[in-house]
Amino acid sequence: MALLEIDELTRRFGGIIAVDRVSMRVEAGEVRAVIGPNGAGKSTLFNLITGVVKASDGSVRFDGTMLSGMSPYSICQHGISRTFQITALFPEMTARENARLAAQARHVRRWQPYGGSTVFGDAARRGDAALERLGLTHVAHRPAGLLSHGDQRLLEVAMALAQQPRLLLLDEPTQGLSVEETAQAVDTLATLLADRAMTVLLVEHDMEVVFRLAHMITVLHRGAVIADGEPDAVRADAEVQRAYLGGLA
Amino acid sequence: MNFSRGLAAAACVLALAPAALPPYAMTLLTEALILGLFAMSLDLMVGYTRLLSFGHAAAYGLGAYTCGNLLLHTGMPLLFAVPLAALFSGIVAIGVAWVCTLASGVSFSMLTLAFAQLFYAVAFKWTTVTGASDGLAGIPRSPGPFGIAIFAGKAGFYYLVLACLLGSLLFCRMLVHSPFGEVLRGIRENEAKTLSLGYNTRRYKIAVVAIAFALGGLAGALYAPFAGFANTELLFWLFSGQVLIMVIVGGAGTLVGPIIGAAFFMLVSNLLSSWTDSWALFFGLIFIGFVLFAPQGIWGLLSGTGRAEGRERVRWRFLKSTS
Repeated sequence: MALLEIDELTRRFGGIIAVDRVSMRVEAGEVRAVIGPNGAGKSTLFNLITGVVKASDGSVRFDGTMLSGMSPYSICQHGISRTFQITALFPEMTARENARLAAQARHVRRWQPYGGSTVFGDAARRGDAALERLGLTHVAHRPAGLLSHGDQRLLEVAMALAQQPRLLLLDEPTQGLSVEETAQAVDTLATLLADRAMTVLLVEHDMEVVFRLAHMITVLHRGAVIADGEPDAVRADAEVQRAYLGGLA
Repeated sequence: MNFSRGLAAAACVLALAPAALPPYAMTLLTEALILGLFAMSLDLMVGYTRLLSFGHAAAYGLGAYTCGNLLLHTGMPLLFAVPLAALFSGIVAIGVAWVCTLASGVSFSMLTLAFAQLFYAVAFKWTTVTGASDGLAGIPRSPGPFGIAIFAGKAGFYYLVLACLLGSLLFCRMLVHSPFGEVLRGIRENEAKTLSLGYNTRRYKIAVVAIAFALGGLAGALYAPFAGFANTELLFWLFSGQVLIMVIVGGAGTLVGPIIGAAFFMLVSNLLSSWTDSWALFFGLIFIGFVLFAPQGIWGLLSGTGRAEGRERVRWRFLKSTS
């Protein structure tokens, strides 16, 4: 059984069909990229999976559990962590505190209204480990709002990692980065994903990034899936070339 | 100077006040401490969670009317009536917050204002319970069956208020430094992100409103036997605005700041009103001055750390606006 099973998922906004009967399987340990031109419905798909937007039709199953109708926080508590297309951090907190608060969400006593040295200690350990894996230890003491854009993007990934998710959703992790920053970020992500211990769903615009990181690719066009398969197969697909890749491949 | 040493020093000075101050000054000081407790309770919402309430007078009024009725009609001793009224205010707040947190931002603020005005209107009409426009008068400081009468006197009541204020301050401090408080901080800075990290943010917000109302209710519950009366003015929107000013002038998000803000408000409004009828105009100018030039408030200016933090914050805003 696949870890994430999406069946006939549909979302209409008024007369516009943003996501049109999308079906998809993500196996455990797989890195799957969702690509497509602007307005293809990639971000809406992410918002549907994480419960930010409610589906008009269809279902999302995660490890056998039906996610449809759940609120974003309980979906996250089931083990799905995400990053946002537009960087979402706690800007006045340090990078370390950001990662700690992310890890704290997985603690049984996360709401404890007194004391907290145990909760904070446990969470900080996991948060610090995540920061280290993304090479952010040297900026851990700085307020997140003052980090470079590249570090901010990586900090979001670190926060998601600190939650030790079973499924990680990355929404354009290199969005807005310079060429050098992108190269660096992709190196870091590639190292991170090399051991295939994590299941990842990735939305990305940059084809080089996609072909470097993804094992499988789903192509969306006007809300619908037009291709699904391994990178080489997708790259060769005529319809994909027409819709999206243009002269690139 | 660290917090506990500073607090101990302040407690000592305040504990000696009845020996040194004339009765009139003691009355003012007692009221300032009650208002300080009230402002501090609002700081949990405004300063720590960025839940801007325009209706915090509802908490004060609820506490005052409940305590007033308990003391007038049940013969319950002061020491039971006050915490019971605070508890009642906190329980009512769960319902109020449940509705208000359906919205966020300005809509949340408008809903808090609407609730406070609703309570105000009810207080005006429900004559048997609230005494309508006459209010409740002659509220006693009942000693109760055990004869604990020490709180009935001027100095004794002052010590009761002081104990409530210090206890609440320590409680709030524990709360904001706990894991729960850290989640509130997350909501303050980025609620959508906090939600997506797996926190049920609405439940946290309802909890903090309930706590703020309970402590605000405690302040109101102390005010009723202090003044001996409770009237609809305690529920009026003007009072909600004044307490918000106390929080901002004193320094939001510092707990101690709003207490000082309340004392400052009392002191300055007393001085100004003895000098001119349009004292509110001048206080408004002071308020504008603080918002523009010292957004970290009196406590931020005094402690210095707030100043550096304030600069950092301003710097971050600048970066955000230019990127």
